[in-house]
Amino acid sequence: MDEILAEFIAETLETLEVLSGEVVAWEADPADSSRLDAFFRFFHTVKGSCGFLNLPRFERLAHAAEDVLAAIRRGERSADPATVTAVLAVMDRIGELARNVGDGEAPSIPEAADDALLDALTDLPAPPAKAEAAPPQTTEAAEVEPDPLGGADANPSARGRERAPRTIRLPLALIDQLMNGISDMVLARNDLSRKMRDREADPELESSFERLSANVADLRDMISKTRMQRVDRLYAAIPRMVRDLSRDLGRKVTLELDGGDVEMDREMIEMVVDPLTHIVRNSLDHGIEPPAKRIADGKPEAGLLRIVARQSGNQIVIEIADDGRGINRTALVDKAVSNGLLNAAEAASLTDDQKLQLIFHPGLSTAAEVTAVSGRGVGMDVVRANIEQIGGVIGIESVTGTGTTIIMRVPLTLTIIPGLIVRSGGHYFAMPRGNVIELLHQNSSMVTIEEVGGARIATIRGEPYSLIDIEDVLGLTRGAMRGPRTLMVVRSSIGQPYVLGVEQVESNEELVIRPASPLVTAAGVFAGMTLPDNGQPMLLLDAAGIAQSASLPLRETKRGPLAGTAGQGAQRDETVQALVFAERDGIRRLIPLAIVDRVEDVVPSQVAISNGQAFVRIEGRLFPALNAGTGVDEPVKSLRLHAGRDALCYLISDVLDIIDVPSKLDVTLNAGRVAGLVMVDTDQLEMVDPFVLFAEAARQTGEAGRTIHCLIADADDAWLSGILAPLLSQAGHQVTIGAPGEGKPDVILCSGAAIPADAGDVPVLTLSDNADTASDSTVYRYDRERIIAKIAELAARRAA
Amino acid sequence: MTHNLFLFASIAGTPIAVRASEIEAVVRLGDIVPIQRVPDHVRGLAALRSRVLTVIDIESRIFGHSMPLAERPLAVVSDIAAHTYGLLVETVSDICEASSGIQPIQGRIDRYWAPFASALVERDGRSHLLVSLADFVTTPSGAAKAA
Repeated sequence: MDEILAEFIAETLETLEVLSGEVVAWEADPADSSRLDAFFRFFHTVKGSCGFLNLPRFERLAHAAEDVLAAIRRGERSADPATVTAVLAVMDRIGELARNVGDGEAPSIPEAADDALLDALTDLPAPPAKAEAAPPQTTEAAEVEPDPLGGADANPSARGRERAPRTIRLPLALIDQLMNGISDMVLARNDLSRKMRDREADPELESSFERLSANVADLRDMISKTRMQRVDRLYAAIPRMVRDLSRDLGRKVTLELDGGDVEMDREMIEMVVDPLTHIVRNSLDHGIEPPAKRIADGKPEAGLLRIVARQSGNQIVIEIADDGRGINRTALVDKAVSNGLLNAAEAASLTDDQKLQLIFHPGLSTAAEVTAVSGRGVGMDVVRANIEQIGGVIGIESVTGTGTTIIMRVPLTLTIIPGLIVRSGGHYFAMPRGNVIELLHQNSSMVTIEEVGGARIATIRGEPYSLIDIEDVLGLTRGAMRGPRTLMVVRSSIGQPYVLGVEQVESNEELVIRPASPLVTAAGVFAGMTLPDNGQPMLLLDAAGIAQSASLPLRETKRGPLAGTAGQGAQRDETVQALVFAERDGIRRLIPLAIVDRVEDVVPSQVAISNGQAFVRIEGRLFPALNAGTGVDEPVKSLRLHAGRDALCYLISDVLDIIDVPSKLDVTLNAGRVAGLVMVDTDQLEMVDPFVLFAEAARQTGEAGRTIHCLIADADDAWLSGILAPLLSQAGHQVTIGAPGEGKPDVILCSGAAIPADAGDVPVLTLSDNADTASDSTVYRYDRERIIAKIAELAARRAA
Repeated sequence: MTHNLFLFASIAGTPIAVRASEIEAVVRLGDIVPIQRVPDHVRGLAALRSRVLTVIDIESRIFGHSMPLAERPLAVVSDIAAHTYGLLVETVSDICEASSGIQPIQGRIDRYWAPFASALVERDGRSHLLVSLADFVTTPSGAAKAA
C-alpha cells in the first residue's frame, strides 16, 4: 500500500511539473484541445487514484476541476484567464498536498481552505454564447485519426507525448549502487592488469583482457549517462514562473525555450536552477519594459525572453536573452562610486565591458526601487558565485535599449573532472585542472622568487603573485627534494590567481569526485575526495579554501571589476594571430600580428642611411628602419610596427599569410631577434621578438631619431616660417624662428639669400628655389622628402 | 524483529552496543591515508572497494588522545548523513538480539562516556553501553552537527 501511495505521489508531482508549462500555452490558445485533454487526463487520474487510495480531499479538488474542464470541452464555458487561474490554483493545491503526503506530514493547509478554491472554480461568469460551436469538434479531432490537413496542427504534439521514449522509474540509490559496482569493477580490472604485468606475456590472455577492459570502459560510460537528464527538466518550471511574474509585474512576455533535449548531469541541473530562476526574474523585472513603454519605444508590445541551451565540448552553454532596455551602465557606475567601490577617476577609465561586469559585484543593483521580485541587492553576485562554485563561468552582453544576454557555461558533470595529481611531503593530492592556469619549475628563467617581510612573491614574466607552499598550508614536513619544485599558478573563484608550490606534479587523470564528509571539509582546504585508479584515496584541494586559509590578500581590490573579465579571457584557447612573412633574404618568419600597424610599399629613395643608421621616410615622418642592410636598391615592403609611442619599420620582402599560433612558443630561444620556434604544419618557423626589435630601434632613435631642433634664422622669410616650419613641426621637430632660444639648434635653415654668419659649428641647410642648385648643403625647397632626410642626416652627423 | 539486534564490541576495554540498523559492515581496513588540518580523531581516508571511508577513531573522540593504530584496524562501516564512515573499534564480539531489550542507565557514567551513552544493553549477563555511531562523527564541540 505504501509503495502504491508513494508512486502515486511521485507521479502526480511529476505530471504537475510537466503540466505547468502546458497550462501557459493553453491560456495563450484556449481552443487547443490537445492541451485541455492533458489536464483533463491529469485530474481524471488523480480523481480515480484518490478514490482507490482513500484520499478524499484530493478527490474533491480533482473532481471539481475535472467538471470545469469537462464544461469547457463541451463548450459550456470558455477558458478565460480567471478560469485558468482557478484551475491552476487547484493544481497547486494538489501539488502541495501531495508533497505533504510524500513527506509524511500533516497537510499544511486546512481542508476548509479548499472551499475558496472550489468557489473560484464554480463562481465564474457565464460563458460567451459563441463558445458552443467550435470546441466540441476540436475535441473530437483529438480522438480520431488526424486527417492530413486539419487536425495535423494540434495532434502531433499530443501523440508525441504519448510516444515518448519508454522509461521506468528507478530509485536514485540503485543507480548510485550501480555506479559503485562499476567503479569496483574498474579497480579490479586495474588490479588484474598490474598482476598481469608481473607475469610473462601471454598474447591470448592479453587479448581477452583487452576485450574485458573495453567492455568495462563502455559500461562505465553508459552508467555515467544514467546520471544525465534533459534540460527540459530545468525548463519545466519556467513557463509558469514567467506567466505569474509577468502578470504580477504588468509585463507582456513571449517565452521561447530551446535546446530542451540537451542532457546534463542531474546534480548540475539542480545547481543551475536557482541562478537561472534569478536571471529570468531579473529579465522580467528590470529588462523587459511595461507594454506602454515598449510601444512608445517602437518595440513589439510583448517582450521576448529566449532561453537556449546547447552543448559545447564538455560544457553546457545556457543563454538567457531578452529584448528589454538593457543594463544601465551609468547607474551601475554611479552606484559603484557611491558605494566607494571605485573613485571617480577609476570609474571614468572603465571600459564598457568592465562597467557591465560591475553588475556581478555584491550590493550593486540598478533597480531604482526594490520590488518584491528582485532588486534587493543580493543578486548577480550570488548568481556568479553559484555558477563559479560548480566550475562554471558567467558572462553578460547588453546593448542599451535593445536587450541583455546572459551566458552561463557550466561543466557537463560535477562528478568526473580532469585533475592533476600532485605530491608533497609523501602525500598525494588532486587539484582540478580547471583551476590551474600554468605549471612551471621553480628554477625556470621566467620566475623570480623574493621574500619581503615574510610574504613570498613569485614574479612570473613580470606579473607578481602571492606564493604559498602546500606543505605550509597543510602543516606537512617537506620531503627531501630531488630536482626543482613545481609552481602551479592557481585560479580560484575568489580574487586573484596565486602560486602554489608543490613538490611535484605526478600525473593528469580523469577523477571521479565524491563529496568529502563534513569533518573533512571543515578543514577548509579540501573540496572533495577521489579514488584514482591506483586505489589509494586522495583528497581534492580547494583552490579558494587554500587561499583563504593562507590569508592571501584575495579580497577583490581595485582590480576587482576586471577579475571577471580576466577569468573569461583565460577560458578561451590561448592563441594569437601571427603574420607569416619572407625576410629580405627569403627566410620565412613570424611576427605577432597585434603589433603590426601597417604594411607599406617602400621605394629605395624613401630609405636613407645616415651614419650607419637606416630610416624610412613615410608621409613626412622618419621611422627607424631595421633590415635596411647597406641600402635598398629595389622596392621592398615595410611592416610598420607600433607599440605605444614607439614605431619602427621592419623591411621585408613580402607578406605571405596570417595564421593562428599558440601564444606559448613551442621552443623558446631568446637568441637575438628570434624569440623562439613555432610549429606550423610541417615546418617550424622562427618568431621574431618584437621586444628586441624595439630595443634596437630605440638605440637608433636615441642617437639620431630624437627631436631635432631647427632654427629658421630669417624670421621675415615668409616661405620658411609659413610653409616649412609647420611641416617640420608636423614631422616631430622643434622649430624656432628668429633668435635661437635656449640651447643650440641642431640645424639652421635658411633660404639662399641670407646665410647666417654666426652659425658656428651648427650645420646650415640652404633651401634653394632652383631645383638645379642642389648640393651637400643645399636642397631644392620643394623636395620635401629630401629636406626631411637632409635635416635628419645633418643632425645625426652633428650628434656623432 | 531487527530493532532488538545489536552489535557488541569494545572500545578501550569498555563494552558497547550499537544498533545493528546503524551498521553496514565490520571490516579490517587497509592503508589509511591521513588528512591534514582535521581533529585528531579523524584518522584519515581508507578505500573499501570503490568507496572511500572517512576513518574515525572512537577512542580518541571519547578520551581526546589517540593510540597508535593496529596493523589492520577493525572498523564498523556506517552510512551517516549520506557519507560513509569507518569507525575504529577495539574488538567485535557478536551481532545478536538482546532478549532483555534496552535498559535505563544504572549508576553514574564517567564524564568521557556520558555524552555518548544513552542506555544499557545486556548480553550474557554483562552490561554494554548503548551508543549511536552518528554521535562520533559530529565535531567535538557539538556546535556543528554533521549535516
